[in-house]
Amino acid sequence: MADKDKNKNLGPENFEFVQRDEKIYDKRFETKPIGYFKDAMIRFRKNRTNVIATIILLFLILMGIFVPIVTTKNYEELEIQLQNLPPRVPILENFGILDGTEHLEAQTADLNNYDEELGLYYPEGYNPDLIVEGTLRNNEIFCTDKTETCIGGQVVVGLNRDHSLLTFNKNTTVTFDEAQNPVLTVDIFSLESDDPNAVMNVNIVYNFGSEVATIGQITEAGVYTFDIFDELDATSPVYGNLQFELLAEERSNTSVAFTNVKMDDDSSTEPIFDDSGLDLTAVASPGYVLGVANQGTVLRSQGIMTQTSFKYKIYEQVFGEREVPVFSAQDFDQLMIDNADVCTLPEDMNNIEGWEFEEGCPVKKVIAQTEPTQGPDGNFYFSYHLILDYAKYRGYDDIPYFFFGTNGGGKDFFALVWLGLRTSLFIGLIVALINISIGIVYGAIEGYYGGTVDLLMERFGEIVGRIPFLVWLGLFVIWLGPGLLTLVVLLTVTGWLGVASTTRTQFYRYKGREYVLASRTMGAKDSRLIFRHILPNGIGTIITASILMIPGVIFAESTISYLGFGIGHGQSFKLLGLFELSGVSIGVLLADGRTALVERPYLTAFPALIISILMITFNMFGNALRDAFNPSLRGSE
Amino acid sequence: MLRYIAIRTLWIFIVLISFLSILFITIRLVPEYPPTEEDARAIYYARQVSDGYMTSYVEDDPATVQAIIDGSYERCDGCAYLQNGDIFRVYVPVPIIQQYTAWLTNIITEWDWGVSTRVSVNTPVFDIFKSRLPVTIRINFLSLLVFMPVGFILGILAALKKNKLTDNIISLGVMIFISVPNFVVMLFMVMIFGYGLGWLPTQFPPPDVQGLVRYTSLVLPVLGLSFGAIAGLTRLTRAELTEVLTSDFLLLARTKGLTRRQAVIRHALRNSMVPLVPSIIFAFVTLLSGSVIIERIYSIPGMGRVYLDALTPQNFDYNLILALSAFYTFISLFAVLLVDLSYGIVDPRIRMGARK
Repeated sequence: MADKDKNKNLGPENFEFVQRDEKIYDKRFETKPIGYFKDAMIRFRKNRTNVIATIILLFLILMGIFVPIVTTKNYEELEIQLQNLPPRVPILENFGILDGTEHLEAQTADLNNYDEELGLYYPEGYNPDLIVEGTLRNNEIFCTDKTETCIGGQVVVGLNRDHSLLTFNKNTTVTFDEAQNPVLTVDIFSLESDDPNAVMNVNIVYNFGSEVATIGQITEAGVYTFDIFDELDATSPVYGNLQFELLAEERSNTSVAFTNVKMDDDSSTEPIFDDSGLDLTAVASPGYVLGVANQGTVLRSQGIMTQTSFKYKIYEQVFGEREVPVFSAQDFDQLMIDNADVCTLPEDMNNIEGWEFEEGCPVKKVIAQTEPTQGPDGNFYFSYHLILDYAKYRGYDDIPYFFFGTNGGGKDFFALVWLGLRTSLFIGLIVALINISIGIVYGAIEGYYGGTVDLLMERFGEIVGRIPFLVWLGLFVIWLGPGLLTLVVLLTVTGWLGVASTTRTQFYRYKGREYVLASRTMGAKDSRLIFRHILPNGIGTIITASILMIPGVIFAESTISYLGFGIGHGQSFKLLGLFELSGVSIGVLLADGRTALVERPYLTAFPALIISILMITFNMFGNALRDAFNPSLRGSE
Repeated sequence: MLRYIAIRTLWIFIVLISFLSILFITIRLVPEYPPTEEDARAIYYARQVSDGYMTSYVEDDPATVQAIIDGSYERCDGCAYLQNGDIFRVYVPVPIIQQYTAWLTNIITEWDWGVSTRVSVNTPVFDIFKSRLPVTIRINFLSLLVFMPVGFILGILAALKKNKLTDNIISLGVMIFISVPNFVVMLFMVMIFGYGLGWLPTQFPPPDVQGLVRYTSLVLPVLGLSFGAIAGLTRLTRAELTEVLTSDFLLLARTKGLTRRQAVIRHALRNSMVPLVPSIIFAFVTLLSGSVIIERIYSIPGMGRVYLDALTPQNFDYNLILALSAFYTFISLFAVLLVDLSYGIVDPRIRMGARK
């Protein structure tokens, strides 16, 4: 403020001429001259956001080029043992995100493995030590499976529609001794039938199945107690089978739901048998079976199953100790040679008891080995049964970090994403080059010759451009089938139009200039005029406008590959014998991830994130470049 | 004016028919994929004969029949041999040019686009088309209703507050949504709002579902389609309005004593509208093809879904592809006509069909 006020009252006496008496036109410039590119560079640098975007873009490109080369992890071969590992990132794992644990839900509980302290069951088939502390939960759901984990409920015996009788037998023979007062208790949950006279007889089949005695009848739900020898008129002890006999009219939708069948006698306080849930089905042994299979159906209902949910340290599971029952001796020998410094073989290699290795060796312990057998080539082959330290065996000193996890084939997803990015960038670049070449030639001819040629070529371009992308897709997929060729053709068929129209404009702008006319008067041919005089003047504008085509091509490529019409896994392409292009692009990875959107969202999230950043920074870079080279176009995006 | 429209419409049909002819002939030159099921195939070939694409005769010479069964008989190109007891019914395609005239005649006289061979066997293609159209149109129109006002308002806001915080935030959003492919946006939304938070259905429900789901299931596809379109419209509105706001006639309007609001609404907006209306019409065409991938992700039984189904490699349904291609091409060409007409309506200075 003070400076401003000071400058307010300046009079002519405060000014003087800089060079009243000097002549300066032969003086050298003290500043350096600024060329076209330097000028552009200064303008480019001015926009801070765009510079940051460009740096990020460069970083992405470098990652795409170098990560697949320098990575030590496998991204090419199937490795089923390592499939579907969640992402694990150092540092971040300490905060509980991307820590390589997998959240598992609805896993069947192991009913024999109960933790008294927590009051919870552990899951079946998982190592309890690797469950993240405090994440284990149990919940109960209804089940109808005929499995041991489904407890209680009823067993529903239904009569088939075209039958009027059904027998349901207990598989074991029971000794009924009158002296011990055997009492049968049957708990029926329901007996439903459209036939009011439907009845279920409780029978004892004895004398090796030749005689049947009915000891009671059941007509409705309830708990029934039958004193067996009240109705059974035979000499004790009787060796017999328990039988339920359901009688109802055909098509009466009759069914009985058993909750429990048990028999007590005086010989002990424990029941002789006590069957409920799974015991009442044919799966249990001994169980209950239908007399004739097509008489009816046996189903479970309202059983309770305990399920667990927990976070699991899957990395420690996969890379911990692993028992391998069959490990070929050849591989074993190779392993020993590769790790000769850490593994010392015992003196007695034929010790049947097996032997252990020191810490640091990929093999922890050899449990057994098979007898050598002679193969067809005359050599002897045998295998070891051993315990591997899997991390060491795979060549990792410690449990490795898969930053983006692994995919369904056990491939390192981090390397795959960058590989996909590289492929996408390559295709983008190649297609952009093709488009620019075609576009420049087409636009040059249009613009240079003008008149009827221009009109006809414009109409042609217009028609090509008006056919929707989907229809081109259909045409080329039918014609060429999915693959790289289709992809490139599809991206080229309409892609050159933009370049052609930019070029045409540039040609209209420059073709009437004096220097062109001068050159023509000196006898220059059309091709010389086009390529030596007009094109170099317009090429800056054309190229900067075309840079923005690359993200567009990547966009379209990912869409086509996502739909499954582009490249795919397992393909690889040699380009001019120089580059090998893999069949993995971001679109392919996204298409893979689609099937596991719920269970493994990271397979979609990471490639989606990377392509988003790439597209955003590429567009910003392209805009910045265009603004820098053609400041007149700034803002008109 | 009418003459102009008539000529343009005629051109649309000429381009449409030429392109479809190319597509038709292409299709007749590659291997065909008749229905896989035997009965359906018999019906299909019978129809091919009645439609005029093939002729048929009965091969009952025992030696030839045996030769066909053995595979030693040299089958003619593109012919179909259907066994029927001891005889073969042989279907021979007529020359392509005859097929082509038959095809054109069928479409023009009877509006008969043929039957589906794989997607929904032996159903007339036009029936499939009719059943799939409503859901696609519904979603696309809803997107149009969402993206137009939002895009306009954001664009106007950004232009009026140029280089302020509001503008920067809007421009950043525009940059993001114009760059990110719409299927990636859709995937993220399904993951977050569908699976993660559980607010919205993760898939489009079957058509007979009643209740709130009918409406909530529209939210994600409409948003997925709209984001890109909103970004595009916002960017264009901002650019156009910025240009108009700095023009001389607006300065004149202000000098006359109009308030900024009056100047913007009466003078600037109308003038910036000239390139916007065509962009909206083109955006609708883009939406229509963009909805293909959204329909795929969200399992929407729309046109795009059925088009992709028909385009399953080694399982092509040519008639369906032809009919849907005709539809998409027609919409695209018609949009161009609409755009050209709209110039005249939005900007009275432009005269349609005027001699240069």
